[in-house]
Amino acid sequence: MPGKKSSRNTDRKPMVLAAEQDRSERGPRAPARDRHLVREDMPWPWLAPLFVLLAMLYFYPLIEVVRLSFTDAMALDTPYHYSLSSYKNLFSSNDFLHMLRITAIFASGSIAGHIVLGLLIAELVRTGERRKLPGAAFVRSVVMMGWVLPGVVIGIVWQLLLDESSAGILTYFLSRIGVHDAVFLSASGQALLWATIANIWRGTAFTMVLLYAGMKTIPIELYEAATVDGANYLQQFFFVTLPSLHRILVITLILNTISTLNTFDMILPLTGGGPGRATEVVALFIYNAVFGEYSFGRGATAAAVLLAFGLVLTLFYFRFLMRNVEEST
Amino acid sequence: VNIRSKRTVWAAAIYLGYAVVILLFGFPALWVASLSLRPLDELFVFPPSLLPRHPTLDSFQWVLTQSQIGRYLLNSAIFVAATVGGALLTAIPSAYAFSRLRFPSVRLKESLMVGVLAVQLISPIVIGLPLYRYFASLGLINSRWAVALVYIAAQSPFATWMLKGFLDTIPSTLDEAARIDGCSRLQALRLVLLPISLPGITACSIILCVTTWGQFIIPFILLNHNDSFPISVGILDFQSTIDSLSTNHLAAAAVLSALPAMVIFIVMQRFILGAMMAGAVKG
Repeated sequence: MPGKKSSRNTDRKPMVLAAEQDRSERGPRAPARDRHLVREDMPWPWLAPLFVLLAMLYFYPLIEVVRLSFTDAMALDTPYHYSLSSYKNLFSSNDFLHMLRITAIFASGSIAGHIVLGLLIAELVRTGERRKLPGAAFVRSVVMMGWVLPGVVIGIVWQLLLDESSAGILTYFLSRIGVHDAVFLSASGQALLWATIANIWRGTAFTMVLLYAGMKTIPIELYEAATVDGANYLQQFFFVTLPSLHRILVITLILNTISTLNTFDMILPLTGGGPGRATEVVALFIYNAVFGEYSFGRGATAAAVLLAFGLVLTLFYFRFLMRNVEEST
Repeated sequence: VNIRSKRTVWAAAIYLGYAVVILLFGFPALWVASLSLRPLDELFVFPPSLLPRHPTLDSFQWVLTQSQIGRYLLNSAIFVAATVGGALLTAIPSAYAFSRLRFPSVRLKESLMVGVLAVQLISPIVIGLPLYRYFASLGLINSRWAVALVYIAAQSPFATWMLKGFLDTIPSTLDEAARIDGCSRLQALRLVLLPISLPGITACSIILCVTTWGQFIIPFILLNHNDSFPISVGILDFQSTIDSLSTNHLAAAAVLSALPAMVIFIVMQRFILGAMMAGAVKG
């Protein structure tokens, strides 16, 4: 038990996942007095409010969405049939395949942007702090704006920024460097590009905070040793910082993927999914199927696909964490 | 001398980096703030400039008196208050159970905790359709209570985890002493643990405020009447009524809807970042 305790204090692991903490309880039984105190009440009454809420508003709907995904339901209160072909129909529809392509581009661009920018900014702020230069906290707060602003507002901010008329500020900047008649949101490719950029702007804050927190836990001795060995700044970054962050990088990657796949509120005011269906990412596709076309079955099938994908990622995430815990204990 | 000049070069490089980051992340918001302060005839000046020549609060006045934005803001505030209150009410007892009570098996407890956390990773869009059908059959479409309940369900897993983490840092000898002195568990929680956890509860509430303020999908799906929209849904509705001649109004509405979350964040920054980082890394 004491051994486990100390290992818990020395290694750093994300708490978002700190189920591992309870491992310390697996040691020898608690002293008798403790057991006596604990035996009196069971945890269930304490957990009841939370579990009733989640059962009603999460688990029941989840079962429902899976059930509906095997139907051809349309609108409310109309009869529907169960059929196994709903998935086949979905996967063979051009709209769906188009959406998958759009989502893949949007997600991979966003995630790459989040990780690269988040890492760069966290490292920049960390370096500034280590050199005791004032201003690091201010930079961090400015970046955090993407986390604080509601998604809809971010969509509106970027829509205003990307105004294609001569009053648009980006249009003006580009015309100054010789690019005239710039197109942002009115053409398919550009709209997807700018939606991705706006999403990078939004999500970098969260990634940066996680990576920055991870950097703070790297023992300073590692850098001192690296300096003694003659490693320069870049070498320290690649051979000390990055390897020490690998665990938190994987976590960031998974959380990022999930949140990017859920993107909905920012796209709506920015492009509405358009032009045409050029920026119709998966969440928008589900919404349009259900509330635009009233194809409840089709929407549920797409939602179930998204859910399955998210579930695989989540399992991977927990497995990864647990494995790390086992390695460290 | 060499070391000193090297230091200056480093400082210059870092501040250059800072400037680029501030420009990239600060400019979009500044530009919108600038649009919101312009009179109509300054919307189309060429070349555009960041500083309005004759700044005015007219757009804000128009938005607050001639549109529903004020009402949306109030609705959001009510949703936030109800959500934070409700989420704390469900999360405090469950955090207590996870932190202090013994489960039949540790594995069961771990699976429950992981299950609670997994809820957070489910997109509201996935459960949007069943919730819509469910509430429609109960006649609860457009019910603010129903929406608040979903908000609470969506936020309590995070609150449970965060408060559990905080309770774990308080030595259990404290509440056990109270128990030996004759307190019931509820009394020990209320009289001993809660007062000590006030900083944790505050930090948790602040984060809940910021995240609840931006909630969008649930009210977007479950509410269909203007009067009950929170600001996130309301401003989207407002945007659809705006043409290029009144972007200053849209900008003012955007500033107003971002302001409460921004103010909370700026005032409570240390709290929020500290809590997020403690949540991100336990060491």
